[in-house]
Amino acid sequence: MNLRLGRVGIAAAMLFAQAKAADAHIIASRLGDFYTGALHPLTDLQDIIMWSAMGVLAGSLGAAKGRWLVLVFPLGLLAGLVLSRFFGVVSAGAAVDAGMILVLGLLLAAAARVPTTLLSALAFGLALMRGAANAGDLGPDADRLLFAAGLASAGYAAITLTMALTLAFRRPDAAPAIAWRGIAIRAVGGWIAAIGLMMMGFALAT
Amino acid sequence: MTENGRTMASRIVSNRVVAGLLVAIAALVLAQPAFAHEQAGVGGGLISGLLHPLTGMDHLIAMVAVGIWGAQLGAPAIWMLPITFPIVMAFGGVVGVLRIPLPIPEVIIALSALILGAAVAMRLRLPFAAAAVIVAVFAVFHGHAHGAELPGSANPLAYGVGFVVATGLLHLCGIMIGTLTRWPAGERLIQGLGVVIAALGGYFLAQSLGAAA
Repeated sequence: MNLRLGRVGIAAAMLFAQAKAADAHIIASRLGDFYTGALHPLTDLQDIIMWSAMGVLAGSLGAAKGRWLVLVFPLGLLAGLVLSRFFGVVSAGAAVDAGMILVLGLLLAAAARVPTTLLSALAFGLALMRGAANAGDLGPDADRLLFAAGLASAGYAAITLTMALTLAFRRPDAAPAIAWRGIAIRAVGGWIAAIGLMMMGFALAT
Repeated sequence: MTENGRTMASRIVSNRVVAGLLVAIAALVLAQPAFAHEQAGVGGGLISGLLHPLTGMDHLIAMVAVGIWGAQLGAPAIWMLPITFPIVMAFGGVVGVLRIPLPIPEVIIALSALILGAAVAMRLRLPFAAAAVIVAVFAVFHGHAHGAELPGSANPLAYGVGFVVATGLLHLCGIMIGTLTRWPAGERLIQGLGVVIAALGGYFLAQSLGAAA
């Protein structure tokens, strides 16, 4: 009886030692690359910071200016993927990313009245950079169309939600009683600029 | 040895084998990666950055004092401070990351707590420009210390995010405490807090000069 228990124990130990994560469903098959594209930006802190900063800046400028980004940002991501595919462009480099974070943060902290054209150009440039950077990690067997659809959908959702949340927080033409909300958004800009500056330092140091 | 004795010995050995295997299984299942020294990766960088301003008492009291003094000075200091301080401090951080030395950093950081605490205790009313210059100089030194002490294995960007957010929250904490100035009792409480901060700053200053243990 005890010897049998011992054998069962050895078998159990072998099973536990060799256990792997179960990829049972959709991620590894069929539409898997759509989810890879949609989730890939979440794995990079730079994407999270830059996308959020862009959304907060657009939201702080009001709905009339920001709504263009709903279209421009996902298109920029797709253009970045195309650039990467046909011209081999992968990443703009840490210093350029840091510079972009710094610029977005400073614009936000200064409460600059950015014209719609410049805002759209900034958003397109940022999306282009990050689209190419995300494509850099694409495996040879990946379905590029599904990956692009996932990435563009994630960009659309992230930028729209961040803008909407900022708009709801700021409220249009804040009255004096709620002026602190504008200051809070500018303080977030100061934090973002500081992060960009730090990142610039790290990029220069390495 | 009798047949019964052999059976009993065999059972004892088998029980030991089973017990050993159960322990081995538990060890395998419950095993976690060992982070014996520095925090690693993005999570580690974020935690290191968040904790760095909170675990150094000299940094912590100086940052809270900056927020309280800003609240005492009122507009525009109260809202300029949270917007500009992180940027100036990050500039100091870059200087630290690039290993550019600053003169007597520990002494200046201790001095910052002493002077800012004294300013809060005395309700020092300086022109905004003068107050901004004082705070900016101290911000560069505090940022330098954070940048120079970046853990080697941590994700630098995550560390930067952590320490900027932690510093900003400490200022916010100071500003919230500073709003007590609306009430006379609160004002006295804040001045008392300023005295405590200045005293701690004095202790750190003496320590950095080698006069205290």
